[in-house]
Amino acid sequence: MSHCSESDLILFYYGEADEDGRIRQHLEHCAQCAGALRALQDTLDAIAVPEAPARGDAYPADVWSRVSAALERADAARRAPPAGWFAGLSRLAAETSDNRPSWRRLALAAGLAAAVITAVVAGRSWPRRPVERSAAVAAEAGDPLARARRAAIGDHLERSEGVLLDVINSNGDRVDLSTAQAWAADLIESNRLYRHTAAHAGDSLVASVLDDLERSLLEIVHGPSVATAAQLEAMRSRLDAAALLFKVRMLADELHEQELAPVQPRKRT
Amino acid sequence: MGAPEPAALLARARQGDSDAFRVLVERHSHAVFRLAYRMTGSEEDAEDVVQETFLRAYRQLGRFQARAEFGTWLYRIAANCAVDFMRARAARRDQSRAEGLERLDADAAAASAHPGPDRLAESAEARARLARALADLTPLERAAFTLRHHEGRSTREIAELLGIGASAAKHSVFRAVRKLRASLAPLRAMGERP
Repeated sequence: MSHCSESDLILFYYGEADEDGRIRQHLEHCAQCAGALRALQDTLDAIAVPEAPARGDAYPADVWSRVSAALERADAARRAPPAGWFAGLSRLAAETSDNRPSWRRLALAAGLAAAVITAVVAGRSWPRRPVERSAAVAAEAGDPLARARRAAIGDHLERSEGVLLDVINSNGDRVDLSTAQAWAADLIESNRLYRHTAAHAGDSLVASVLDDLERSLLEIVHGPSVATAAQLEAMRSRLDAAALLFKVRMLADELHEQELAPVQPRKRT
Repeated sequence: MGAPEPAALLARARQGDSDAFRVLVERHSHAVFRLAYRMTGSEEDAEDVVQETFLRAYRQLGRFQARAEFGTWLYRIAANCAVDFMRARAARRDQSRAEGLERLDADAAAASAHPGPDRLAESAEARARLARALADLTPLERAAFTLRHHEGRSTREIAELLGIGASAAKHSVFRAVRKLRASLAPLRAMGERP
């Protein structure tokens, strides 16, 4: 066999090489590859598992105290939501009132701010629920299969949001986008499937967002794997113009909201 | 009377019994914190991930399949929360990360200046360099590397946990290892170990 690539050796080190036996045999006779493996081992062996700081016996109760307080705040925010896309922003505001930093919201802040402004300026707004949703969608609200489909689409949108954020947040003169591209490529096929399913079910809003998303994912996949600052800025502008991050975020939240545990918690002791 | 069985607790939690959910949170909080810490490399960040993990778990209880293992399901949520968190941190390119790295550098410098054994100084400097190298990985690369290297997960498991394809999972591990090797090469040249 020819010399082992670094990828071969990494997989071999972790015991996942497809041709483990052949690589082992090759290493016995090839000083160059054996040396490369030793160098790799030296580095990886030395990266020890970080030991998490100790947490005392009271830690579980402390976690529950924080979680239950956050759940109560979320419940209160949900009880009287305003209509339309403003509802989403209100929920974000309610959640950021936590005394801990709301990191997820901070992550979205920059992208959302630009996207919201773009959406408003362009005269767009998120459809008011449930008036503008189709009758077919309303009719299947209690259907377990439809719930499962919406939950899956919600997860898909969250993952896609991650790719978009990675691209939007990239900075530098030459940015390596190959990881984002690999991830986007994985998402395109499922995006197509969900878009067809949503269209077939008469959920034109979901289908439309997925359609926009697919175009952006394709643009990422077919774009340069190492982007210049100008290329990144152009991608960011196109994403902003479509208010895509905002739509994806709001739709994911809406879909997940529909799958909340059906019964509210009993009074806590 | 023994502790309630996980299945019974889950059934009660799914019906809205907050006491049952409390028991689940308390049982798994240490394990979720450990994973969150390994993935984010920061105590404070890990605490945020812990809280968000349980909030997401609560919201998604209706989707949990009784045949699955609750701990595994929670592990998946925690891993994804950590990725989201790291993405948020990357978005801010934030002050806290810079401060954290400065702190590590300061620790390394202090250790170097300390009259103690050389090994201590080497170790502190190596830790600082490793922390910096890990912080420079993309969120997905860091998550994939942590799951592969620290958690012993296979590529297939990483793909399932992070909801990505096997090719993306593999690619992320490769890139993470390459970047770490490049960052840590100067240490190797000096004969130190991270």
